[in-house]
Amino acid sequence: MRLRDFIIRRIILAIPVVFGVLTITWFLSYIVGDPLAMYITERTPDAAIPGIIHARGLDQPLVVQYFLYLNSLFHGDWGVSTTTGADQPVLTVLAAKFPATIELSIFAMIFAIALGIPLGIISATKKDKAADHITRIFALSGVSMPIFWFGLMLKYLLFFQFSQWGLPHLPGGDRYNYRAYTWHPTTGFLLVDSLVFDHNPGLFIDAIFHLIMPGFCLGYITLAIITRMMRSSMLEVIKEDYITLAKSKGLTERVVIYKHALRNALIPTVTVIGLAFGGLITGAVLTETIFNWPGLGRWATNSILNSDIAAINGFTLLVAFIFVTANFIVDMVYGVLDPRIRFG
Amino acid sequence: MTTADEIVLHVKDLYVSFYTYEGVVKALDGVIMFLRRGDTMGLVGETGCGKSVTAKAILGLVEAPGRIEGGKVIFFDKDAETQEITELDLAQLTSEEMLEIRGNKISIVFQDPATYPNPVFRIGDQIAEVIELHQDLSLDVLYMKIAKLELALSETNSDVNRAEIESKIAYYRQQMEDPPEPDKKSIKEAAKLKAIEMLRMVRMPAPEQVANQYPHELSGGMRQRALIAMSLACNPSILICDEATTALDVTVQAQVLKLLNQLKTEIGTSIIVITHDMGVVAETCEWVNVMYAGTSVESCATERLFTKPLHPYTAGLLKAVPKLHEDRERLPQIRGSVPNLISPPTGCRFHPRCDYATEICIETKPILEELEPRHWAACHHPLWTSGGKKNE
Repeated sequence: MRLRDFIIRRIILAIPVVFGVLTITWFLSYIVGDPLAMYITERTPDAAIPGIIHARGLDQPLVVQYFLYLNSLFHGDWGVSTTTGADQPVLTVLAAKFPATIELSIFAMIFAIALGIPLGIISATKKDKAADHITRIFALSGVSMPIFWFGLMLKYLLFFQFSQWGLPHLPGGDRYNYRAYTWHPTTGFLLVDSLVFDHNPGLFIDAIFHLIMPGFCLGYITLAIITRMMRSSMLEVIKEDYITLAKSKGLTERVVIYKHALRNALIPTVTVIGLAFGGLITGAVLTETIFNWPGLGRWATNSILNSDIAAINGFTLLVAFIFVTANFIVDMVYGVLDPRIRFG
Repeated sequence: MTTADEIVLHVKDLYVSFYTYEGVVKALDGVIMFLRRGDTMGLVGETGCGKSVTAKAILGLVEAPGRIEGGKVIFFDKDAETQEITELDLAQLTSEEMLEIRGNKISIVFQDPATYPNPVFRIGDQIAEVIELHQDLSLDVLYMKIAKLELALSETNSDVNRAEIESKIAYYRQQMEDPPEPDKKSIKEAAKLKAIEMLRMVRMPAPEQVANQYPHELSGGMRQRALIAMSLACNPSILICDEATTALDVTVQAQVLKLLNQLKTEIGTSIIVITHDMGVVAETCEWVNVMYAGTSVESCATERLFTKPLHPYTAGLLKAVPKLHEDRERLPQIRGSVPNLISPPTGCRFHPRCDYATEICIETKPILEELEPRHWAACHHPLWTSGGKKNE
């Protein structure tokens, strides 16, 4: 099987997954609440309701309603959300808030991978030595500290105390400094917009500084998981016969580890990374709250509390889509790393 | 013993121990053996007698918790051009110096072709890696470039191109005397070409295609051949085959053995065959070393070992080989089992299982002596000589 066929097959396989999630959430929300709630708000006049019921086909049988829902979904009508205060179409809210969350999650992920994989390798190659113990403590504190506490402590130290001491400090929240810079959102991705459309490197750097603390805070748990996973799979791999063979060729320890062992050890780690990325998006709620990040997480939590069904459905669908995409990417990386999967 | 000129490897009183939680495992207890240049030497013994540890010790691959405690591994390195012989004690070399030897001067083929090739790299790249590492490819790069240009020359029609190509060829020919340092990319290319050449040498069908395949796409026999190609890539002085044919079925085993014997004469490598299969020894080896529980017990020419073994252990091993002309219900066996090497038996390590053991065997360890011309054995009561008598 060629790489192209492999990709096409994975895309085809992803469709039923998204479809399944969509169906389940819709039926669940039908059971929990009134489907009418997706399309009306407190501000809808009573007289308009029968018209909406008829227009949305809510007087039709369940199955027909389901297909009508699908139809409106594909036409970009995802219902109306009330959570942001004004009545806004769900798709508009998602489009506005999604880039902020994605940007934060990707930053957190980059940080977790860039630190987690080398740390995992070090703690595996220096097993039971000081470096291993330090990495273990570092990683375990990552999973042990609750995000809200860790985030607040970070903010307290790096933002508040540092500014008290007159030291250079990191910003305490927001995506960028509203007072110093202006941003004209084009794609919604601040880092992209500032460089490509606004040609404003100052804003770009400012945005990076704003990402450091929330990114670290959000990525710490993932970093810990990646480190531990990398360590154990590395330890597993260095016992393999092909490592003995690589050594018997006269390759240096470095080449043996970073060429022959790393690629094999990455295979299980990549699975974890894929799953963790979906987790980052949904888990961003706390970080977003602490750092006043205008992302999806806070909006989704509020819409759950408000029984904002359209918002919940829209958010669930988006998250399902992200999970599927993340796993699709993982499968692709698998294929690149491991020829047995590519051709199997 | 034979003169230094004929010997390529001499292992002298090698001691290796493994420091485990249960105690110190004395895996090798004074192993002595030598390998003559151009010979195939068999290293035989039961599972766990230290054959593989010996191989690993020679290559400096004994890993923690294992440690070489003493002894010498003397390698007589013969320069291909000057024929000069340098004497190296492999046990004393630093790990950096060992990198030069491993895979280059001494290489190894392992037992299981299913687990030894790295599953994520192409066969050709794995072979090319070792070539790139140890060989100076600057001449090969030039040959490759010239060959490419000559191909272009035969295809081109225009005279202008022809003259241009010819001048380029002349330019490269000029460099032959003192080849310049080639760039990385052409080194990689030349190494890959050489890897394909190696695959052809081990009689791999369609070597160009196999070089671009991954290990899981090949059969066991093909993989083992690829591994042999990998080990022979740098024309090593010594090739160690650690149970190289054990995991293969009998027909493939025969092919591989035949191949090894052919290659030995082709590139003049001395081979150590580690096995517990007496049939393999009889078929391939000129000389045999028998090991028991980390000690060398007998060393002689193969023919002699099969006809006139001196050590009771060797005799026992040979008796346990099934023979076609005999009709037996049950094969004879050596009584008892392999000793625990954490607390090995005193004196001769074989004495608890030996039919001929006496007081002296319990007290003193026998040394490997030339009991008969060109036949060494470590035994107080060797067979065929004076006084081998069965205890009741």
